[in-house]
Amino acid sequence: MIAARELSRRFGGRTVVEAVSFSVGPGEVVGFVGPNGAGKTTTMRMLLGILRPSSGEAAVDGPVGYLPEGFAAYDALSVRSYLRFMTRVKRVPGEDAERAMTAAGVADLAGRPVARLSKGERQRVGIAQSLLGSPPAYVLDEPTQGLDPKQVVEARALVRSLATDHGAAVLLSTHLLAEASAVCDRVVVIVAGRVVAEERPGEAGDLEARFLRLVGERELS
Amino acid sequence: MTTRGRRGVTGAVVRKDLATLWSSPLPWVVGALLHAALGLLYFGDLQARQQALIQPMVPLAGFLLLAAAPVLSMRSFAEESRSGTLDLLLAVPARPRPLVLGKWLAAWGSALGVLAPAGAYVVLLRWWGRPDTGPVVSGFVGLVLFCAALTAIGVLTSSLSSSQPVAAVVALFVTLILWFAHVGSGALAAGPLLAHLSISERLRSFAAGVIDSGDVAFLAVVTVAALLLAMLAVDARRLR
Repeated sequence: MIAARELSRRFGGRTVVEAVSFSVGPGEVVGFVGPNGAGKTTTMRMLLGILRPSSGEAAVDGPVGYLPEGFAAYDALSVRSYLRFMTRVKRVPGEDAERAMTAAGVADLAGRPVARLSKGERQRVGIAQSLLGSPPAYVLDEPTQGLDPKQVVEARALVRSLATDHGAAVLLSTHLLAEASAVCDRVVVIVAGRVVAEERPGEAGDLEARFLRLVGERELS
Repeated sequence: MTTRGRRGVTGAVVRKDLATLWSSPLPWVVGALLHAALGLLYFGDLQARQQALIQPMVPLAGFLLLAAAPVLSMRSFAEESRSGTLDLLLAVPARPRPLVLGKWLAAWGSALGVLAPAGAYVVLLRWWGRPDTGPVVSGFVGLVLFCAALTAIGVLTSSLSSSQPVAAVVALFVTLILWFAHVGSGALAAGPLLAHLSISERLRSFAAGVIDSGDVAFLAVVTVAALLLAMLAVDARRLR
């Protein structure tokens, strides 16, 4: 379970996130969409406990698999060494690195230094590290960024299976409304730091048209 | 977290940081420059004295380490913060204590690795003459403890910034102030206290062949205090 209750965050005098509330239950993928600078990453950082809310409460049950936007690892390490390092930090069995590499489709890159990976390959390594320990909750910030079309399809299927097959609660930030429609059970729309809609994409019909109406042409330009 | 769990994280951080640092040219360049300067200054001193003494090497190495240690420790937290990898570790959540200890042990080990070729001077001195064993042992003990304190200060300044150059420059100036704390202290009301804080005077004592418990305790206190402050800084970064 991932829950935000009246979460707010101010930087100086500027309110970046204001009274944001939503929850993600077990077995559910919730999309978190909004224009750039809407407060998605700030909200996610508060949920992860790496940013203190100015007010409100963030709660995540158990360990969380986190994929930050623009994932970075250590260039000098091989993919396997990096994932082994993360198993030690997360205190999960070292062998879990092999399972995560296979699940994220990077087993063939195990011996390659992170410095020599393409952007898409790095992103898949990032997905692999989020899978370590099979946590009950995931916070994924733009997980398909930099992936080629085939990898996008595979990554979406993987995200979906985390919820459907493993009962995990998944919060997925994305700029791609088609992705939110394809993968998510619900979509939370945030604009200028406030949640302006929360709906089921299947029931809402054309999510893109609805999003454009919510955000407005000015926000998108 | 259990003690074993903390040790596991600490050990993993040490190995990762050592692999990352030593796969870059940085420690090799720092080591080459340090030993080029140290060799030049030390052999010049030995030629002038015409005696097989280790004593002049210790403060010279100490002074050069003021520049080397911040460079070796500057990336410990600053680079993780800049690249975003620190967020990932804090989101696990990894506790500040094993992170700071792991990074300090890696930086300390790297500083000792850079300094290690200085052991060759002992071999050369024994070839040329009969140096006293006492100052050799105490001098190297002093340098080992000195490196511990300098790298702890380096890790502290690195934990306060996401810029490696800023972390290194701040650490350099903090250690320079501690090095020269005794200079002119006689003219100030707080002079005796400042003289007490001088790390160069502590190192001079080790170089003279004395392992004073007060000097050992002072360097240990500086090390522990810097590491505790670094843990607070990392924790504050986690929940700022």
